[in-house]
Amino acid sequence: MLEQFGSIFLDVNFYTAVVRMATPIILAAMGSIFAERSGVVMFSMEGMMLMGTVGGIIGSGVTGNVYLGLLTAMLFGMAIGLVYAIVAVSVGAHQIVTSVGLNLGALGLTAILYALTFTRGDEIIQTVIQVPGLSAWKIPLLGDIPFIGPVFFDHLPLVYLGYLTLPLVWFVLYRTTWGLKVRAVGDHPHAADTVGISVQKVRYAAILIAGAFSGLSGAYISIGLLNSYMENMTAGRGFIAYTAIVFGKWEPVGVFLGSVLFGAADALQLRVKAAIPVIPYQFLVMVPYVVTLIALISVVGRANWPAASGLPYKREES
Amino acid sequence: MKTPSKLGSVWRDYLERSFSLTVPAAAILAAFAVSGLIILAWGSDPIAAFGALSSGAFGSPNAIATTLQRMTPLLFTGLAVAYGYRGGFFNIGAEGQLYMGAMAAVWVGINLPDLPQAILLPLCILASALAGMLWVLLPAYLKSRRGINEVLTTLLLNYIAIQWFEYIIRVDHFQKDVVIYGGAEANWKFINFLGLKDAAQPHPKSPMLVDATFMPSLQTLVESKWFTALFGNAAWYHDLLQVNALDRITLAPLLGWLMALFMFFLMFKTVTGYRSRAVGANPEAARFMGINIKQTLFKTALISGMLGGLAGGMEVLGTQHRVIPNFLINAGFDGIPVALIGQLHPLGAVLSSLFFGALRAGANKMQVITSVPVAVVYVIQSLAIIFAIAGTTFDIGNKLKKRRISRESDEKKKIAAADGEVSNA
Repeated sequence: MLEQFGSIFLDVNFYTAVVRMATPIILAAMGSIFAERSGVVMFSMEGMMLMGTVGGIIGSGVTGNVYLGLLTAMLFGMAIGLVYAIVAVSVGAHQIVTSVGLNLGALGLTAILYALTFTRGDEIIQTVIQVPGLSAWKIPLLGDIPFIGPVFFDHLPLVYLGYLTLPLVWFVLYRTTWGLKVRAVGDHPHAADTVGISVQKVRYAAILIAGAFSGLSGAYISIGLLNSYMENMTAGRGFIAYTAIVFGKWEPVGVFLGSVLFGAADALQLRVKAAIPVIPYQFLVMVPYVVTLIALISVVGRANWPAASGLPYKREES
Repeated sequence: MKTPSKLGSVWRDYLERSFSLTVPAAAILAAFAVSGLIILAWGSDPIAAFGALSSGAFGSPNAIATTLQRMTPLLFTGLAVAYGYRGGFFNIGAEGQLYMGAMAAVWVGINLPDLPQAILLPLCILASALAGMLWVLLPAYLKSRRGINEVLTTLLLNYIAIQWFEYIIRVDHFQKDVVIYGGAEANWKFINFLGLKDAAQPHPKSPMLVDATFMPSLQTLVESKWFTALFGNAAWYHDLLQVNALDRITLAPLLGWLMALFMFFLMFKTVTGYRSRAVGANPEAARFMGINIKQTLFKTALISGMLGGLAGGMEVLGTQHRVIPNFLINAGFDGIPVALIGQLHPLGAVLSSLFFGALRAGANKMQVITSVPVAVVYVIQSLAIIFAIAGTTFDIGNKLKKRRISRESDEKKKIAAADGEVSNA
């Protein structure tokens, strides 16, 4: 049994699968760091990703161009983000409750939009619709290196975008004025406001970025991995992405590693289920959650999350 | 003549503590209006669709039975969220507590099948309550003693509970004389003692629970001896016997309503509830009042977890009588909107869970009759949540503003009066 377990780790395909499974979580989690750091709880990632799945299919299916599909997915994710920003930031409603509502609404809206787009006459098309899907871009030279090539450099283009999010998010968050504003707004909105930073504007922008990335993440699942649409096809990956943010303690590097951990657990679970049914794969799925829980509890790993997280900001009227 | 005035004050007292129906009602109406536009875009008649929806939810005894079945777990998780939220413990782990509660109820049911109903059924209910409490123990401890955010810990424990369930539903349940599916020799290990799977068949399913675990239904009431003796000669009694949904209308929703009533008294009429709400509203002020914050938070969390566990127990004992993978999806998460649309009030949760249950029960009929997809129901729920939460926030904002304005004008008057005194002197 141990040998079989070990042989999984010797297989190149396993590592390729890790990268493949981690990407949707990386895209959503890394894209939502700004919003989280600006003090907005991104529980609505699931809904944004769901809109992305159907946005990708609709854009790609209607125009026949898969990249327009990605654009549609981004816009769909941002649409949910806009509603979220209006209700949670402008109105100041409770963020988690609003998110639960939006996730439910996205579940319904995706099914309706899909059927509206692909219905001919009165008939609801039940068969799986094939639309132009993404294809892998093999990076020249790098893609030919044994082991490293197939694992890292022979993937869908969105995977490379996933790699890029790490330096990009880190740089924007820690080396640009806007990143400083984001952190200030999340840790002390009142102080940020006094020095002339518009708390609402920063949060709106951050949520829209999260919406765009979550939309891409959804499109990666629909027109990338599976090239078709099913109801609720993100299957809770938005919440996994949220957990990855908690795991990474709101730091880009940590969040990235957390996403990879969840991707690895997912890939391992599938393989163990197929190859070694003796090992209960459920525990492998459980591992990242347990690790995150322990990280939360342990004193060393005390999470330093944004102080104003979840709190709406209202300027005192004089 | 003291009684009328006392009654009047009790009533006023109640009203003050009660919830405003205006915002949720307006939110639900607005949600239906917007969804009606979506149905128009779909090319169907919204009036006909909503008609089919309501007849699917309330149009027949069968429809009512389904609505009540859908409502019950939502009511319990809604109460769990409402009580926790008011007490400063935002329990989004009702989902996990629900799974634990369902597992515990089934486990007791399949291990003690020979007990009489009067003992076994309460035992199963108790087990589900305890399991829910057990599952909230860690977040409760971490929140009350170490200040670790309960939203994150309860969320993580949801997934751990669900994966544990996915595992244990595939482990054969220990039974003495059972032929294992496939004819293999039984090789029982300790884990089989916890296992829930029916060993005699291949699928991840628990055995059907024995009748002694079933919630008494209207049918048992109607067919009972004294009921027959009392009404056996009446014409309506024989009509009633013909109704085929009687066995699906069980005690579970009634227990839910009683629990809501109990929670109302606990929240607003007892010291426990008062302390809990004080800590939830303003921990600092509560500390100055001499309330032990840690203890109060811990207690609040345990009560909330217990209600979450009961949700699972009620579903198993009242409706499904066994567990299978995905036996109840998202009922724990949906407790959050149920509680919030119900204005975080136990009696509000009764109404909002009925609303959610009716939507779910009626959705299929709407799709069959008017070909409007079931998904529209999710949109209605979603819009109702968002309108309600936005409306409530606006309302609170306005109230706070009014209070501040009146306080400021009072202060100005005082200052003016003081100035007057000074100038007079």
